[in-house]
Amino acid sequence: MQVLAQLIVSGVTVGMIYAVIAFGYQLTFATSKTLNFGQGDALMLGALVGLTTINFLIGLSLGTFAAYLLMLPIVFIFGLIQGSVVEFLGVRQAIKTKSEAGWIMATIALGIIFKNVAENIWGRDALRFPSPLPEASLDVNGVRIQPMEIAIVLGALGLMIAVEIFNRRSIYGKAVVATANDRDAAGLMGIDTRLVITFSYALSSMAAAFAGVLVAPVTLTGATMGAALGLKAFAVAIIGGLSSGIGLIVGGLILGVTENLTGYYISSGYKDVPGLVLLLLVLSLKPAGLFGKTAIKKV
Amino acid sequence: MLQVENLVAGYGKVQVLHGISIAVPQGKLVTLIGSNGAGKTTTLRAVSGMIEPSAGTIRLGGDNITGLPSHRITQRGLAHSPEGRRVFPTQSVTDNLLLGAFPRLTGSRPKGDTGADLEKMFELFPRLKERREQLAGTLSGGEQQMLAMARALMLNPDVLLLDEPSMGLAPKLVEEVFSTIARLKERKTTMLLVEQFAAAALEVADFGYVMENGRISASGPSAQLRNDPAVKAAYLGAAH
Repeated sequence: MQVLAQLIVSGVTVGMIYAVIAFGYQLTFATSKTLNFGQGDALMLGALVGLTTINFLIGLSLGTFAAYLLMLPIVFIFGLIQGSVVEFLGVRQAIKTKSEAGWIMATIALGIIFKNVAENIWGRDALRFPSPLPEASLDVNGVRIQPMEIAIVLGALGLMIAVEIFNRRSIYGKAVVATANDRDAAGLMGIDTRLVITFSYALSSMAAAFAGVLVAPVTLTGATMGAALGLKAFAVAIIGGLSSGIGLIVGGLILGVTENLTGYYISSGYKDVPGLVLLLLVLSLKPAGLFGKTAIKKV
Repeated sequence: MLQVENLVAGYGKVQVLHGISIAVPQGKLVTLIGSNGAGKTTTLRAVSGMIEPSAGTIRLGGDNITGLPSHRITQRGLAHSPEGRRVFPTQSVTDNLLLGAFPRLTGSRPKGDTGADLEKMFELFPRLKERREQLAGTLSGGEQQMLAMARALMLNPDVLLLDEPSMGLAPKLVEEVFSTIARLKERKTTMLLVEQFAAAALEVADFGYVMENGRISASGPSAQLRNDPAVKAAYLGAAH
């Protein structure tokens, strides 16, 4: 029983990371029906920029916790800029010419370029990220929980709730939702929908960068850390549905927990299989996702 | 207030408008009538920047707005209540109305009192007041039409374009829509109205234009058009 609980706890943590990255996919899909397939690389870049920043701040004899907090806004700003660059270089033209696939290749290409750049700046080795919280685990009825794991869950939920509140309460957030509802009609309201799409890309990469510095202290940081996370988060986005916030969290948790259970009870070699089988099942039985509304593309 | 000269526009390689000229004077209601496919909706779409005109000029209050993107044109004071209502289904009635005032709330148009204007809209369309917290997607067709018109009015526009506000509505609601338009006219709202109910539109309008195959085939004060034998025969039916 304790082993099971332990597996679930770590599954929930990694599941929340998937959910935040998938949330980023959802943000751009809502406004532009396009995705940044370099989302995993946005996470990796965020983590590495965060690493350099936090080490610099610690070098100024700041405590790790204070340095981590000060680092966050810098990583956020970096993510916003990085996402805008992706939209500007890879997506804008494809949307303008109504290209069905141009943005797919363009965002994958940008992701590879970002990875190469990161390898040249930070090297190919995995680097340790200083943990802002004590690394000793708390013992809850025999289940060990790292304080950083709690921070991951709270941080992930916090980010998603903050964006949701922004969308519901502020006029700018309403403009984003309006653009997602009906881009032409939003334009008639005086909303610059192209800017809204750039903004959704910026926010999407910011979410990924945040996920990067959340997960970095419990894993390791490096140029290759993003690829698998980005792909699995994509599976989560499909499983949960690209239109449902709750779907992402549920999808993330399902994938995170089944991975851990399979890894322990069956074989770590099969760790990735159940999630992907679930993905295939969802695609064949409920293509809009577990929580998505069915949308039939009119031709 | 709004002047369209020799407007040419279309979709891709298909040219729909072959040189349209329309003038909408300040405080007047001008209607554009014609059969399906004549190019009425395309005219409005080109005027509000939803499609880019390939030739001609559009002036709003003397400024050339030809080729501007639709959000810029809206910020300059032209509101367009589009064909098919196009309300934002996942947002509440109130939020839809606030989005109509987006340029005012974000500083690209004089703010004025948006709260008071919201109340004014609820006065003009009492049904919307009852449903103010409801999602726009759950409204009936008639209510959505009221919402689309109210949303456009929230801009405090210099010119209001109305595209087929009666489309798909029950006869009783059509009457309601026209009486609302008459009330807006009394308030000196400058309007360009596209309608399939030609007789009712000419009844309420000051001037009319008749469109045929992407060209203006007749125009004049609406009283005059109502008595024009050719217009009568083609659009008004024998009863008139």
